[in-house]
Amino acid sequence: MEISNKSSKIKLITSGIIPFLFLIILMAYIFGPGSDLLDLGIPLPEITIEKVDFMNSEIQVTVRNTGPISVEVAMADINDRIQPAAVEPDKYLNRYETALVRIPFEWNEAEPYRIGITIEDGTRFEKEIEAAAPAIKPSLELAWFFAIIGTYVGIIPVMIGLLWLPFIKRISKQKYHFFLALTVGLLLFLGIDAVEEALEVSKENLADVFNGGLLVATVTILSFLGLYYAGEKLLKTTQSSRLTKPVAIALMISVGIGLHNFGEGLAIGAAVGMGSIAFSTFLIIGFALHNTTEGIAIAAPMSRERKVIGKLALMGLIAGSPAIFGAWIGGFAYSPFSSVIFLSIGAGAIFQVIIIILNMIRVECNNNLSNASVVSGISVGLVVMYLTGILI
Amino acid sequence: MILSLSILIGLSVVVFLTTFSDAQSESKTFVTHSGAIVTTTGEILDPLYAVSTVDFDPMGYLRDFNYGQVSQLSDGTTLREFTIIAEDDKIMEVSPGIFYNVWTFNGTVPGPTIRATEGDLLRISFINNGSKEHTIHFHGIHPAEMDGVFEPVGGNGGRFVYEFEAGPVGVHPYHCHVMPLEEHIVHGLYGVFIVDPKEERPIADEMVMVLNGLDTDFDTENNFYAANTIPFYYQHHPIQIKTNELIRIYVVNMVEFDPINNFHLHGNLYKYYPTGTDLVPSFYTDMITLSQTERGIMEFQYEYPGKYLFHAHKVEFSEKGWVGIFLVNDNDEKNTELDYGN
Repeated sequence: MEISNKSSKIKLITSGIIPFLFLIILMAYIFGPGSDLLDLGIPLPEITIEKVDFMNSEIQVTVRNTGPISVEVAMADINDRIQPAAVEPDKYLNRYETALVRIPFEWNEAEPYRIGITIEDGTRFEKEIEAAAPAIKPSLELAWFFAIIGTYVGIIPVMIGLLWLPFIKRISKQKYHFFLALTVGLLLFLGIDAVEEALEVSKENLADVFNGGLLVATVTILSFLGLYYAGEKLLKTTQSSRLTKPVAIALMISVGIGLHNFGEGLAIGAAVGMGSIAFSTFLIIGFALHNTTEGIAIAAPMSRERKVIGKLALMGLIAGSPAIFGAWIGGFAYSPFSSVIFLSIGAGAIFQVIIIILNMIRVECNNNLSNASVVSGISVGLVVMYLTGILI
Repeated sequence: MILSLSILIGLSVVVFLTTFSDAQSESKTFVTHSGAIVTTTGEILDPLYAVSTVDFDPMGYLRDFNYGQVSQLSDGTTLREFTIIAEDDKIMEVSPGIFYNVWTFNGTVPGPTIRATEGDLLRISFINNGSKEHTIHFHGIHPAEMDGVFEPVGGNGGRFVYEFEAGPVGVHPYHCHVMPLEEHIVHGLYGVFIVDPKEERPIADEMVMVLNGLDTDFDTENNFYAANTIPFYYQHHPIQIKTNELIRIYVVNMVEFDPINNFHLHGNLYKYYPTGTDLVPSFYTDMITLSQTERGIMEFQYEYPGKYLFHAHKVEFSEKGWVGIFLVNDNDEKNTELDYGN
């Protein structure tokens, strides 16, 4: 019995491995030495200018090899005029490798610049900067500034939103359903917004090789699935712990909104970092108004609970404070790739929360999601978000 | 668990992709436009001021005149025979670190400077070792069948002999005239053809400057401009001349894509002979404008020693390579003994 069990296990493993062996043979045949099957077409080199920093009498350009073959950086220019420059650590870039090109240049604030990098085959790659602004240097003062802004944008508006709790507590069941549905509408809008933002960042700043659209889709869905699984586990444990189901749901909403606010923090930090100060003022006002509605989203599912003030405050912090971290990262260490990742994780989190709340409403309304309060709630949520979103 | 795992994977991808580089410690310095000295641990990309050499030697080309293999015909006419070979597969380093597929006459861009006296018989054996059809079309006066337009010479060893009387007096371009013409010209199939008057021009330090451009990324805009192909070459390798010595430059504008080019000389003015066809100068100026294949002869001498720029006053062109320096040495002090010693 033992032996046959063992041999069947070996059979199982072998049958799982055999296709891989054939795949390896196929790859070796196509790509291996001496194979000229795929020796067609000429691979075109490509680099992407990911970041341009305006320093003291110097412009610093971060380039990444985003093509299929290694390249050599050969020359730098500003506004199509050749400039002496230095490249660190060296001019040879393997696939995906980055280098810093330092171009000494007396640039003028608020003027547009076109930065060009030419590689060894004479191809020139360009990035246009709308207005030059001094790169910000990490300092305690600036970190404090970002923390304050993050508080204004993230924590305070969410807390203000939570103040609607007594109001929601006193209303009828139908109106309560309306507010739960309103939360769904709000979140739906935020989810779509995050996906759109992620796609936009990837389109503008990410090289084609990263496959922006699919990156966003993959990360969003993975985030959704991961949180969905974790959320179900959390809900199951509510049966055996002190955590009640509505509190668990509110917690999940705060986590989702927290990830979303992290993205907003990134946007603000990056806008300040790129020197578009006026733009970031609008961002700050817009996000602040916008985020007040997020407080309602957290408050609504908890409104039938008792003694929630402490928990609510904690959830306000969970939902709001990531804006501070986002602003730090966006301002001090902006990278389009990580922004896309964070925005997509946020989107997945929000869609997961939507499913949870819809489930909650469905149970409360006896499987009827098409009643007036639910439909109007979702609609009003979307419209409110759209209108406050215009302010950004 | 899965959540934290996916976040971990996501973060490690982010970190991995942003720190994919290794460090180097040795530091180097270079000087900028404004004289600032910059220190770097990396490599220097400076085609402007850093002395560098590439495949082609513009200093050799500058004063290299080819008079051909000379013989006398029975009627006393001088026969000058040349061999010119076209190729179109050469990859040349045109600026430090930048490689471009040049099409060449006798292996260089521009091709050899062909020089003859008015009335000489020219016999130019043309061999096309390229992969495409090529010809040589001379500007000047010659029979229709010697025009290099309707007689394409096939690649991989095709041959043709161009034979005509040198004339008129002046400086002329020659270039391939196979369609698509722009492509054949911008890849480098051109050169200078000088016809001297029977009564020689006064002795001078003579040089040839072909003003040309290179479109290395094929977007019909030039990435580089130069006098004699290599951008900034005469800036980091100044042309040495002497005070009070007559300088004569045969200038030919072969820039494509941009409608005009120009030539500005510092600290001096030159006498200008458009196309070199007249022995009396038309202008005394420090600035002339040249359209496509427009050319002429400039004559000047410097009174004061020192460094003088010459460049396109279309500053875009000069900042992309069409700029150089004359280093004027004192004629009397250093060179008198050498000159009169023998």
